[in-house]
Amino acid sequence: MKSAMLKNLHFSRFQFTGIICTILGFLVVFQVARIQTSAPHQEISKWAGETFGYETKTLTPERGNIYDRNGNLLAGNMIVYEIGLDLQSVANPHTIAEVLSPLIDKDYNDLLAAANIKYDPTTAIYAVLKDNVHSDIVLKIKTLSAQMDKTNPGGANSSQPSLRGLVYTPHLVRSYPEYSLASNILGFFSFQERQNARGYYGIEGRYDQILAGTPTQVTVPLDPYLISDIPTVDPGASLILTINRDIQGMVEQVLNKSVNKYGAASGTIIVLNPKTGEILAMASTPQMNLNEYWKSSELYPQGYMFDRAIGATYEPGSVFKILTMAAALDAGAVTPTTPFLDTGYIEVGGVGIYNWDRSAWGPQDMTGCMQNSLNVCLAWVATQLGNEKFYQYLQAFGIGRPTNIDLSGEQYWPLSVPGDPQWYPVNLGTNAFGQGVAVTPIQMATAISAVANGGRMMAPHVVAAIIQNGQQYNISPQVIASPINEKTAKDLTLMLSNSLVGESSAALVEGYRIAGKTGTAEIPINGRYTMDVTNTSFAGWGPSDDPQFLIYVWLEKPSSSIWATETAALTFHDVAEQLVVLMGIPPDNVRHELQGK
Amino acid sequence: MNRRLSQAQKQAPWRIRIQSAGMVFLILAGAIVVAALYLSVSAQAANAGLELQDLDNKKQDLEDQIADQETFLAWLDSTTKMEERATALGFERISADRALYVAVPGYTGPKPVLLAPLPGSRFFQDPVIKPGYTQSIWDWLFEGVRLSGNQ
Repeated sequence: MKSAMLKNLHFSRFQFTGIICTILGFLVVFQVARIQTSAPHQEISKWAGETFGYETKTLTPERGNIYDRNGNLLAGNMIVYEIGLDLQSVANPHTIAEVLSPLIDKDYNDLLAAANIKYDPTTAIYAVLKDNVHSDIVLKIKTLSAQMDKTNPGGANSSQPSLRGLVYTPHLVRSYPEYSLASNILGFFSFQERQNARGYYGIEGRYDQILAGTPTQVTVPLDPYLISDIPTVDPGASLILTINRDIQGMVEQVLNKSVNKYGAASGTIIVLNPKTGEILAMASTPQMNLNEYWKSSELYPQGYMFDRAIGATYEPGSVFKILTMAAALDAGAVTPTTPFLDTGYIEVGGVGIYNWDRSAWGPQDMTGCMQNSLNVCLAWVATQLGNEKFYQYLQAFGIGRPTNIDLSGEQYWPLSVPGDPQWYPVNLGTNAFGQGVAVTPIQMATAISAVANGGRMMAPHVVAAIIQNGQQYNISPQVIASPINEKTAKDLTLMLSNSLVGESSAALVEGYRIAGKTGTAEIPINGRYTMDVTNTSFAGWGPSDDPQFLIYVWLEKPSSSIWATETAALTFHDVAEQLVVLMGIPPDNVRHELQGK
Repeated sequence: MNRRLSQAQKQAPWRIRIQSAGMVFLILAGAIVVAALYLSVSAQAANAGLELQDLDNKKQDLEDQIADQETFLAWLDSTTKMEERATALGFERISADRALYVAVPGYTGPKPVLLAPLPGSRFFQDPVIKPGYTQSIWDWLFEGVRLSGNQ
């Protein structure tokens, strides 16, 4: 009996425990199910998912690089740091202010005030001290911080020095390793503006969007199971320019030297390949260190003067006679041997035109007219050509409209043609020798390149190739016009080559036959032309029988001499003399000998 | 047979209980193994995910460092620096009259620089990852059979 009772008791205890455990188990399962399905839980779950499951951020692609034609980097990116403070972790504000003030060039009190900001999880978590700090400075700070951490681990002792709380966030910024080289062509990227940064002028301005790529706002999963969804953005496209770094450097040196030597207000030199339209070098004064782009407004109060080669229009003077003579030869109005008796005066549209020296040069042929740069002769040539044809040719040479060179900031001056309110009959005579018509150096270089390239005018361009999505797309040269035929181009080249030899021009380079023309243009002051200040220019190309380069020089208001023969022609010579070496162009006799082999 | 079983149950009823308990524990153990396996795989997947996140961050850092180093190299190779070094080493610019030109058969002048493959080029188009890492087992078997058949 007793054993049966004990047995029942034993059984009931087991049963009781089992039932309790089962109920508890069911309760746990029920509670889990309830929590999973309850509305508040679902709201919390949704909020947590939205808040902590994904991070929305803007992925800014790395800005594309810019290289010269040989693959030398002209514009790249480098790592700099934003130095900030994790306010909760700051241990010793005084140390932070004292150490950082001289290193990052910020006021001690400003730094101390920032470091003393009281941490608040809702309003004050992080404070920026300085952005765009170079890595060598950050390295110094980190070294000091590590030393302090040895004597005062974790900044536990607030009376001991500690840099605890400093945060270094790296990011890329634009960098120009060649400083001011090709600055007028490259333009700049305003990297200090971070989110609002953009390219200005030149290549950086023109190709801003493709260099920048497409910044993309993405939702990045923080859940490691969704890792495959991490999005990526392609970097911006890189550009390979037609510029040759060595030639560009040489041209800038010669230009700066010439501007100083001749006391010019400014200067521009363009070197291009007339066969392709590729710009090999293009320099203007002043150049600027692109890493300090914020000084651009001081250097270029008029923004369009950033690159005078494409942004400044001027009356070119006698270099324009190349176009007038090309038009007349092409139209058959004259031939190289057409005689002309220069009396030193001609009337066009009822207005008298004189030569540059106000004297008569007697019997001439067209080569003589070009060699002696006779305004009267060229005005006569234009009258032989007639209004309609003369302006048709000028338009065919691209005068009066932009060349559409692939750079930001190109300017142009509209060409006045018969019928326009600003056009007068005398314009035919004055335009013939480059007065009353305004052009940019790039317009002139492009137009004259047609003469150097057998009559075909190539599109001037600076970008040789674009690298996008890991592939290089080369840009082919384009013919934009054929204003004159091949024979005209060859005849005129011969005329201008002979005229340089005939006058023993300072532009000549020993061993090389060069064709070219000077231009000295009076500058109108208070509506009247005066010879006190001039624009001097020279356009030349060579070797004459197989032109591989065209050089255009413009010196504004030289003070040592008003004449192009004593300023721009010499500058041309200095460039051409070094250019033939850099381009590997042998002297004519050696070249002919090598070609014979 | 049935008589023997009921006889055995009468003599040792705990055997049946042990059988039942064993069955329960077996199911429980199975469930635990499945749960452990699931947890292990989940943990591995999470770990792999975190590693991938970490690698992705490292990749970004490395890309930045490459860009930085490329620019640093360009600083070292810049025209000004190179000219300074060349001058220090005693080099000087050559003038046109001192240049010696020789005919090199077949040389047609400098070629345009190629910093990336041209469109249509086969450079880098072959997959970098070996097929073994991406093939399914069926692909692998099929490929193996096909290759052995060809041999």
